[in-house]
Amino acid sequence: MKVANDGTSRGNGGRRLGGHGRDATAGLAVAGLVAVAGAVGAGVAPASADETSGSDDELIFRVGVLQDIDNFNPFKGITAAAYEAWALSYDQLTGFSAEDFSPEPRLAESWEQSDDGLTWTYTIRDDAVFSDGEPLTADDVEYTFNRILDGQVEKTNYGSYVAQIDTVKATDDTTVVMTLKKPTPIMERLSVPILPEHIWSKIDDAELRDYANEPDSKPVGMIGSGPFVLEEAREGEFYRFGRNPEYWGKQPTIDGVEYRLYRNADALVQALKNGEVDFADDLDANVFAALEGEENIEARSSDYYGFNYLTFNAGAELVDGTPIGTGHPSLKDPEVRLAIHHAVDKEALVDRTLDGRGTPGTTIIPPLYPEHAEPEEPVTFDPEEANRILDEAGYTRGSDDIRTMPNGSNPLVYQLYARQNSETSQTTIEFLAGWLRDIGIDSTVETVSEGRLYEIAGEGTFDMYEWGWVVEPDPDYQLSTFTCDQFSYEVANGTIYAGLNDAFYCDPEYDRLYEQQATELDRDKRTEIAQQMQLMAYDANAYIVTEYYDYLQAWRTDRFTGFVPQPDPGGAVLFQYGIFSYLNIEPPDEGSASGSGTESSSTPMVVGGVAAAAVLVGLGAWLVVRRRNSSADVE
Amino acid sequence: MSTEPPSVMLSSRAAARARRGAALRRFARSYAAHRSGMAGLVILGLFALIALLAPVLFPADMLDITKTVQNETLEPPSGEFWLGTDEGGRSILAVLAWAARASLTVGVAASAISMVLGTLVGIGSGHYRGLLGSLLQRLTDWFLVIPFIPLVVVLAAVLGQRGLGTIVLVLGVTSWPGTARLVRAQTLSVEGRPYLERAKALGGSDWHQMVRHVLPNVMPLVLANTTLTVALVILSETTLAFLGLGDPYLDSWGTMLDKANGAGAASTGAWWYLLPPGICVILVVLAFTLIGRALESVLDPRLGRD
Repeated sequence: MKVANDGTSRGNGGRRLGGHGRDATAGLAVAGLVAVAGAVGAGVAPASADETSGSDDELIFRVGVLQDIDNFNPFKGITAAAYEAWALSYDQLTGFSAEDFSPEPRLAESWEQSDDGLTWTYTIRDDAVFSDGEPLTADDVEYTFNRILDGQVEKTNYGSYVAQIDTVKATDDTTVVMTLKKPTPIMERLSVPILPEHIWSKIDDAELRDYANEPDSKPVGMIGSGPFVLEEAREGEFYRFGRNPEYWGKQPTIDGVEYRLYRNADALVQALKNGEVDFADDLDANVFAALEGEENIEARSSDYYGFNYLTFNAGAELVDGTPIGTGHPSLKDPEVRLAIHHAVDKEALVDRTLDGRGTPGTTIIPPLYPEHAEPEEPVTFDPEEANRILDEAGYTRGSDDIRTMPNGSNPLVYQLYARQNSETSQTTIEFLAGWLRDIGIDSTVETVSEGRLYEIAGEGTFDMYEWGWVVEPDPDYQLSTFTCDQFSYEVANGTIYAGLNDAFYCDPEYDRLYEQQATELDRDKRTEIAQQMQLMAYDANAYIVTEYYDYLQAWRTDRFTGFVPQPDPGGAVLFQYGIFSYLNIEPPDEGSASGSGTESSSTPMVVGGVAAAAVLVGLGAWLVVRRRNSSADVE
Repeated sequence: MSTEPPSVMLSSRAAARARRGAALRRFARSYAAHRSGMAGLVILGLFALIALLAPVLFPADMLDITKTVQNETLEPPSGEFWLGTDEGGRSILAVLAWAARASLTVGVAASAISMVLGTLVGIGSGHYRGLLGSLLQRLTDWFLVIPFIPLVVVLAAVLGQRGLGTIVLVLGVTSWPGTARLVRAQTLSVEGRPYLERAKALGGSDWHQMVRHVLPNVMPLVLANTTLTVALVILSETTLAFLGLGDPYLDSWGTMLDKANGAGAASTGAWWYLLPPGICVILVVLAFTLIGRALESVLDPRLGRD
């Protein structure tokens, strides 16, 4: 459950949400005019930048990021940045290979399943030691999994991995045996950080909600068996990790990792150019373009596993079948959804929202994964066909050119929502409104926060909106988002919560296939089922998957080389399902690794300066007026 | 032979009209003597014209991003696009002209709210010396001491629903205290004059005193002050929009600056996107300021002439 850059944590049920786009309103309440001047001018580094640098002989890998770590507690955090931090400090039983995400040994040296697939035996390596010196044994694995099985808060992030697990037992120091209710392929991909029992057993359920899991927490936090240890955490500024001398694997070349937080991509790019950071993560397409051809900087556009989508309210209901919400009745008609799909020009969206750095989307498993299914006849951009379908289905245009339901009632006026913190979202919805108008559908647009949109989705009080998902290597979780039992649900006090199914798409045949793939152990057969499911949802136009976006990263080649992409080639080099780059990067062989090649073009400074001056002149004029006013006040 | 009375009435009306006409001419003459005031008027007239003609010069389709997909994005100024294009491939000149409508509308509408509120509170607190007066006075002080921008930001966030109306409301209800103080001071001065004592002695109601005697006397000052408020409001609207609190689907100069910043115009050197809206804001704010100051000095003899 990772949320990409512009996601906010979701209140309920960990939902891995993404949706690429710049943070449009970083820091609303910052002192207004100061922010204006600062943002218009060149990038401003965090005030603490200099004091945080380690001593000169240490090799610290400095990563500039835009998304904060929301919580170090692995049961509470939800952002991609938090997942990256846990990956540095904690180990999992199995990992995902850099090459193609296939399972590979981590803490578990080997594993085997019984013939009926109901008993899994993991052999835990005997040389793993926690960073506080305590050895990691099978008991810690048993403890971690049982804590999730018995817990409630604990299930938010990891519930989907343990859904089929019945019991977990450490039979000796290096052997863990798990028994299942039903065979499931997820047992090779258990993305659960193994926690030290001697620390976490001191934290009861009530304390867990507030436990920060930081170095100054009580008990001491972030004790893991991974290669790095969190040394200092300053929220909103920086996070510094040192090396874990007890790490069981090969020691990394770098002495530490430091994440520095930047308020916007512009500032981050300036910091990279000035050598304040060695790596810039998740950049916007427009500032990314300015980096290409820059000396000593490699700008990398990687294939990624995230997609953006438009969803329809195809009849919002609670799980028990009670209709809810205010969705327009026309959207229950698959023909209308198909017509709208025809009206959407995905090429234009990729061009305008991603600056061409992405591909038009089709199904909900991105092409990066072998489980991706590509429709044989994708829905084309064809407004005339859209109009023809709507005419034929009886949605005739009224005198105001707006279509009505076939019985002449209910003009087709849709309520659209865009996310406040994402420009991509707002631009997409602006496009959609224009395209809808072309096929005789009117709309009103509202921009809301992601938290609010989550409520709106659950209550079904929308017609269409834009959001995004980041998809894990195992397709189970993503496929589950279109099942019937992921509809909204009502709790005792009448509050309605959203499930994962925000399209209110429900097909018993799809659900049957979902059950089938969840317990299908033959990989090829499972892929086939997963593909069949994607195409079912595609043909029903549950979502319009608008685009698969690329992940944009850049780093200083005069500081580090040896980054490892995942998947190889073509994938991202940091923020992966693994920490391969951190373990493998090293300074370049020749030349000095001074890292102070200050190469910034003067144009942005000039433009920024002039614009800032313009604002200041305006301010000045206004202040003069104010002075006149106050002198007039004195009667 | 009863034709005389009407002609007397007519002539008295005509006399009043003549008197007002003469006053207006005198006012126009002394205003015209302010060269800066005239310059402001010309600039403002120009922008008003652009705003009015925008739909004629630039058809609404030029603003629809679905109709501009064939254009290059962030293209520098050229023969086809005099001020280049924005990140949606739209002509910046067209957006600029349409944005003038929004910015001027917000400026004038919010200032009107601010003027009405400020005048009401100002006259009220000047006229009623008791509890009501001091309550209104405290209210004014309260609004004056709260930092303006944070107040506006919080209000805009609380009201949620984005749109022209919200922005007008937010800026209207936050920009009146300056006017109120000014009006109160003038009210106090007017109420001290002998003819108001006479009106009171003759039994004129509070309403009569305020509306017939105080209001006409404070009105010129209020008008001059409102002109200055428009400048402040337009600047504030720009700030709000730049901070992302405007309506992202309504083109105003502030929204343009916000979008330019978001599109990385500063990093990529797209000056044609950043400068025009900035310059327009400056020019309009300057125009209103010049006009306001000229009005002030014409209407308030103590400020003299420049």
